[in-house]
Amino acid sequence: MPNMPRFNFHRPGTMEEALDLVSRFRASVKVMCGGTDLVPKMRAGVAVAENVVSLTRVPGLSTISYRDDDGLVIGGTARISDVARHPDVRRHYPALAYACDKMATVQIRNMGTVAGNLANAAPSADTAAPLLAYGASLVLVERGGRRQVPLEDFFTGPGLTVAEPMEIIEAIRVPAPPLRSGSAYLRVSARSKVDIAAVGVAAALNLDLEGRVIGVRIALAAVGPTPLRARQAEDMLMEQIPDHDLLARAGAACVRTAKPIDDVRASANFRRAMVQTLAQRVLARCGRLARGEDAQ
Amino acid sequence: MNHNPKIIGASIPRLDGKDKVTGRALYTDDLKFPGMLYGALHRSRLPHARIKKVDTSAAKKIKGVKDVVTGADTPQIKYGNWRLVPGSQDELPLAVDKVRFIGDEIAAVCAVDRETAIKAAEAIEVEYEELPAIYSVEEATAEGAPLLHDESPGNVSLTREISYGDLEGLLAQADYVREDFFKVHAVSHAYLEPCSSIAVPEEGGRVTLYTSTQTPYIVQCLLASTLDIPENHVRVVKTQVGGGFGGKMEMRPWEFAAAFMALRTGRPVKFTLTRSDELAFGRRRHPMSIRSKVGFTKDGKLLAKDFEVMLDGGAYNAMGPTATFLCGTFGNMLYNFQAYRYRGRHVYTNKPPASAMRGFGAPQAAFAQESQMNMAAEELGIDPIDLRLINAMETGDVIPDVATISSCGFKESLEKVRQVSGWDAKRKEKKPGVGLGIGCFSFISGGVFNWFNTKYNFAAAEVTVYPDGTAQLNTMACDIGQGPDTVLRQILAAELGIGIEKIRLVSMDTALTPKADLGTWGSRVTLMNGNAIIDAAKKIKDMLKPVLFDHLDLNQIHEIAFEDDRVLVKANPKKSMSFGECVYHALRGRRGEPLTARGYYTPRDKGLVSPAFSFGAQVAEVAVDQDTGLVTVTNTYTAHDCGVAINKMAVEGQLEGAIQMGLGYTLSEAFVMEQGRTLNTSFLDYKMPAAEDMPPSTYVEVETYEPEGPFGAKEAGEGLAIPTAPAIADAVYQATGFRALELPITPEKVLKGIGRLK
Repeated sequence: MPNMPRFNFHRPGTMEEALDLVSRFRASVKVMCGGTDLVPKMRAGVAVAENVVSLTRVPGLSTISYRDDDGLVIGGTARISDVARHPDVRRHYPALAYACDKMATVQIRNMGTVAGNLANAAPSADTAAPLLAYGASLVLVERGGRRQVPLEDFFTGPGLTVAEPMEIIEAIRVPAPPLRSGSAYLRVSARSKVDIAAVGVAAALNLDLEGRVIGVRIALAAVGPTPLRARQAEDMLMEQIPDHDLLARAGAACVRTAKPIDDVRASANFRRAMVQTLAQRVLARCGRLARGEDAQ
Repeated sequence: MNHNPKIIGASIPRLDGKDKVTGRALYTDDLKFPGMLYGALHRSRLPHARIKKVDTSAAKKIKGVKDVVTGADTPQIKYGNWRLVPGSQDELPLAVDKVRFIGDEIAAVCAVDRETAIKAAEAIEVEYEELPAIYSVEEATAEGAPLLHDESPGNVSLTREISYGDLEGLLAQADYVREDFFKVHAVSHAYLEPCSSIAVPEEGGRVTLYTSTQTPYIVQCLLASTLDIPENHVRVVKTQVGGGFGGKMEMRPWEFAAAFMALRTGRPVKFTLTRSDELAFGRRRHPMSIRSKVGFTKDGKLLAKDFEVMLDGGAYNAMGPTATFLCGTFGNMLYNFQAYRYRGRHVYTNKPPASAMRGFGAPQAAFAQESQMNMAAEELGIDPIDLRLINAMETGDVIPDVATISSCGFKESLEKVRQVSGWDAKRKEKKPGVGLGIGCFSFISGGVFNWFNTKYNFAAAEVTVYPDGTAQLNTMACDIGQGPDTVLRQILAAELGIGIEKIRLVSMDTALTPKADLGTWGSRVTLMNGNAIIDAAKKIKDMLKPVLFDHLDLNQIHEIAFEDDRVLVKANPKKSMSFGECVYHALRGRRGEPLTARGYYTPRDKGLVSPAFSFGAQVAEVAVDQDTGLVTVTNTYTAHDCGVAINKMAVEGQLEGAIQMGLGYTLSEAFVMEQGRTLNTSFLDYKMPAAEDMPPSTYVEVETYEPEGPFGAKEAGEGLAIPTAPAIADAVYQATGFRALELPITPEKVLKGIGRLK
């Protein structure tokens, strides 16, 4: 393993200090928490920074809280495994809980954070697709200000986001799920259990009393330069009863949205087929959950 | 079968386990020496090129760089494990005229730290004349293909042929003949410890090499020959080794470069490879293109087999000649038939060299053979287990010109695996997406061949016993994680009748342990080193027995036994003394000469292949998701004849590890290559199964007694790596109707196979 280039490591004890540091070193700074993405990237020379600011000692930043009126707030340093086992996440956000249960390895889930998974901006990021489906947004804070960015505006390309170097993800805000809603996430990869997703599909679906779709978001992972919203499929489902044929057509619409490439993990052709399959399965499960049916 | 059940056949945890689990065990990269320098290699960036010029001037100017060497600085002596056939020795430690794969070593540097060494290695400039490159055996053997080695026309470095019986006649007379083509791919050994070596210079132009290897004696000899110094100037010490699986059984360029630069600089030099180096440039299992034609009678008797294999050897021979030889032998195992023809060709391509890997030609041969048995069974309308029972080898069977099977539990394995897997019921009940399949195996317990041309016995042991009741075992036997440090002490303890904890082990130091040992490969260690140890222990016992006769004034018809740290009269166990006391008295009579004995083992008059063969059968159960093509192995059942299992826990460990490797080989592992370049060079994209992917596993022992093995033992290391691929492939066929003739069985292939993907 090549040695890492030298850098200064900062462990501020307050958010103010952290913001001061990232502002001062904005020319060459990385924010770190678990380091599960950043450290290997720095070792490989893919990420370079003279300064690394660790958030692990910033108090209160790892909180996960849920209120029916306000939804879910995931603190910027909340670990993936803590999110996975949080009872409110499991109850109200099964797609996110599933992603946090299945992604990477147990060691990485215990170290890595959901905010870090988003900040790393991999097209295959497992938490991105469910959070997009839930309509989540990020609270970005810098010295003297904060802004809220919808997650779907956050990613700009592989490894790229709208966040500025002096900004820190303070929290992820996820709206509370409406009544008669269901959500799900599924992924496939070559190694069945411990792997990066070759394709992932998440959806959140909301039905009216007649079983018609009144809200839907579908997100696709690892089939484009960023996680993608499948708007064409969403539009197709709105105001409709999501029966089998419609779901098959929605799946096909998802395939049209996807922009998969051939790479070492899968061929574009296979990825397209998986988008169809997973989208149908995910939407069917969402429908069953929204109708209160047993969704096994 | 006079042995102590508390020791032989017990489940004894590894004696080195705690140190390894707690991180105390020292691997080569853990070692540091005063003044030690760090090495780095400059590797070829082209798959095939003539080297016009190597410019090291920029590298030499970097501060902290202590030495830079190219092929031109070295003695330029070719090497290879087949010393018996010098023409097969086709590698140079550092390339001189040509490079033949991306990663071929061209130059080496050493510097005060690793970063500087890497920087300097990158600063070396090579001027190439690019040559056309070839990446498959088909291209390589086509007319007019560019030649990798001028000495090997047609890029074939070695052809092995076996032929007996009236092949054409029997095939003509057969009721049912089929011919199939199979393709298997390369996989990485993926040992957890990437290669690491440290050379420490010594007075008189001598050098000690600490290295992660499974064949220290081979490394000693080849290092000495390539450095052009006497063998006795080189001492090789094996540290703890984190797995080898055949990938660490040759001398490698960094071992040479470390020693060469240590001698030049007078300072210790360390090289440690990265995982990415290992995946991009490392040794691998041979890809093969296989044609197999078989003929049966209508009631399932196998008459004849025509077996043709092209091994994709990559750029150099490495252990390819042995794989070519063994593949033909394994094509001939498990079943009796009257005529056999084998033609194996080892072919050069511009890829990293393939070499020995767990199973050594057998996983490939068996994927073809066992798949074909399953296909034939279906067409003959005979249950696949019944078809095997009709043809299965038995104890005493003879493979013409090759071996006599001295113990064989194959039929029992088939019966037992049928029973524990619920075969008969499950095969009848056809559920879409669910399937059950079978694969069988046989493997050698060490080879009788001497391609290394060693002048010494194949295995040696030196045993010394002390008046405090303890013993010391000195041996070159090579524990690379598979467990002989424990198992060989069990064998000595059982033979001497003392506790395992009484034995101090000094292993694998070519200057201190008795000459010689061929190392860990071919599943040879337990049988060969075990026999050498028993030989030494018997000599010790012969030195101790007179003490009892003398002290107890015994009639010479008595026999003496060694049990529970005591030496006793067999017919009257009350007449005894402690082992230590017995040693004390024996020593008194030797006027200061320690009680030491050496034992040896070399298989002689044991045919052409191996003194003993293991057998077994495995059933795999799968669930196939017909929309995604994902195959999940839901269960495996294995029945295994390894003779007497010396350490049951160790055998089960081998099985678990073999299933993990088999899963990866069958379903997910592959090198993704483009124009000779490997694209997936980390475990993120090289899809080795993880612990969570392991299916439940049921294991049934089929115990036989192998007369040639220590306490009746045979191999248990490599055979188990063979059956998983054909068993899974058969199960996938049962589940989906898609019969994979090529590995790996990826989700994409399954979907295409069942017509769900174009």
